[in-house]
Amino acid sequence: MKLMLKYFFNGCILLAFFGGFAQETKKDSAVAKTERYGIRLGVDLFKLTRSFYEKDYRGIEITGDYRLTRKYYLAAEIGNESKTVDDVQLNFTTKGSYIRVGFDYNAYENWLDMENQIYVGLRYGFSSFSQTLNSYSIYNPNPYFGQQDLITSGEKFTGLTAHWAEVVAGVKAEIFNNLYVGFSFRLNRMFSQKQPNNFENLYIPGFHRTYNGDFGVGFNYTVSYFIPLYKSAVKQKKKE
Amino acid sequence: MKKIIFLLALTFFINGCEKDDICTDETTPRLIIEFYDITNPSVLKNVTSLKVTGVGQTDALDTFSGVSKIELPLKLDSDTTQYSFVLNSSSSSLLNEDFLEFNYVRNTVYVSRACGYKTVFELDNPSGISLTDATTPDGLWMQNIVINTHSITTENETHVKVFF
Repeated sequence: MKLMLKYFFNGCILLAFFGGFAQETKKDSAVAKTERYGIRLGVDLFKLTRSFYEKDYRGIEITGDYRLTRKYYLAAEIGNESKTVDDVQLNFTTKGSYIRVGFDYNAYENWLDMENQIYVGLRYGFSSFSQTLNSYSIYNPNPYFGQQDLITSGEKFTGLTAHWAEVVAGVKAEIFNNLYVGFSFRLNRMFSQKQPNNFENLYIPGFHRTYNGDFGVGFNYTVSYFIPLYKSAVKQKKKE
Repeated sequence: MKKIIFLLALTFFINGCEKDDICTDETTPRLIIEFYDITNPSVLKNVTSLKVTGVGQTDALDTFSGVSKIELPLKLDSDTTQYSFVLNSSSSSLLNEDFLEFNYVRNTVYVSRACGYKTVFELDNPSGISLTDATTPDGLWMQNIVINTHSITTENETHVKVFF
């Protein structure tokens, strides 16, 4: 959580700085405004850096979006994660890949030809993964005959899947020509999942840690590159 | 818009602080024995100074008085648990020791993230319980033993009835 906060504020500072920087360089224009349409591809730095400093975690996420209309973007993320969780009673490793597809709605009214985004979006997520139960303890509230030792298992549960929906809120800011940084928060709601026999999906790649109930949370911090494909004139707003 | 983003962010933080690391579920159950009156088999009968000790243990589990129901932990690393039951253990003239041996099959069942796994038991059928007298025979004070249910998965039911 502390880390997420840190990234959040980093992002805010970055935005404030580059937002101001960008404004100075803009020229005033009264001619019909055109906007660029294209594909933006990026990578999640949060997962990437976590892979370096967190011993039990490996993850990568590629993000992409395609501008459909002025406000709507088709958006997707694909990724792969491997995480070992060491709890008091359980130690397990989850490995798998995921894809999330949906759209973003840009709620930010850009000045001039800026192309920043404050957006909300929806995603459908699907993950295919395996769980390995490394070791476990038997919970015994009445240890009259002594507490049991940790039991080493190594049992692997394969062919597990999960489907969920995500609500996304985030920002993207163009810091150099065609280069964007951004971050997003996600709230996940599970639809269905295939649970292992005599174990539970306690971590799901793409969905992250599962809590009692069907909710999960997510965060990403992306650097992405915009590939312009065509330009389109902005329609004048009707006068009211 | 800003309000929505703020609310969403707040939800994430609250969610992030959620605690589910404390085990509150029912885990490994104990064997529940109820004592009944042999002369009136539908009526519960309280025990007096019943000292219960696991065979091989130096300390007694407990000495029960004025209760008709006791809970016995079973061994998790063996399919057999034997207990000594000394009735009227406070009186040297009245005390009477019997042994009960419980034979069962163990199963490991997943509970939750906080609790991990539990062990549940299935008493052998038909030889789930065997009653023996003390090494220096003093007669059996337990007159009849009935297995109420063979599967021991919860402490909310009586597994064994003892009539005396």
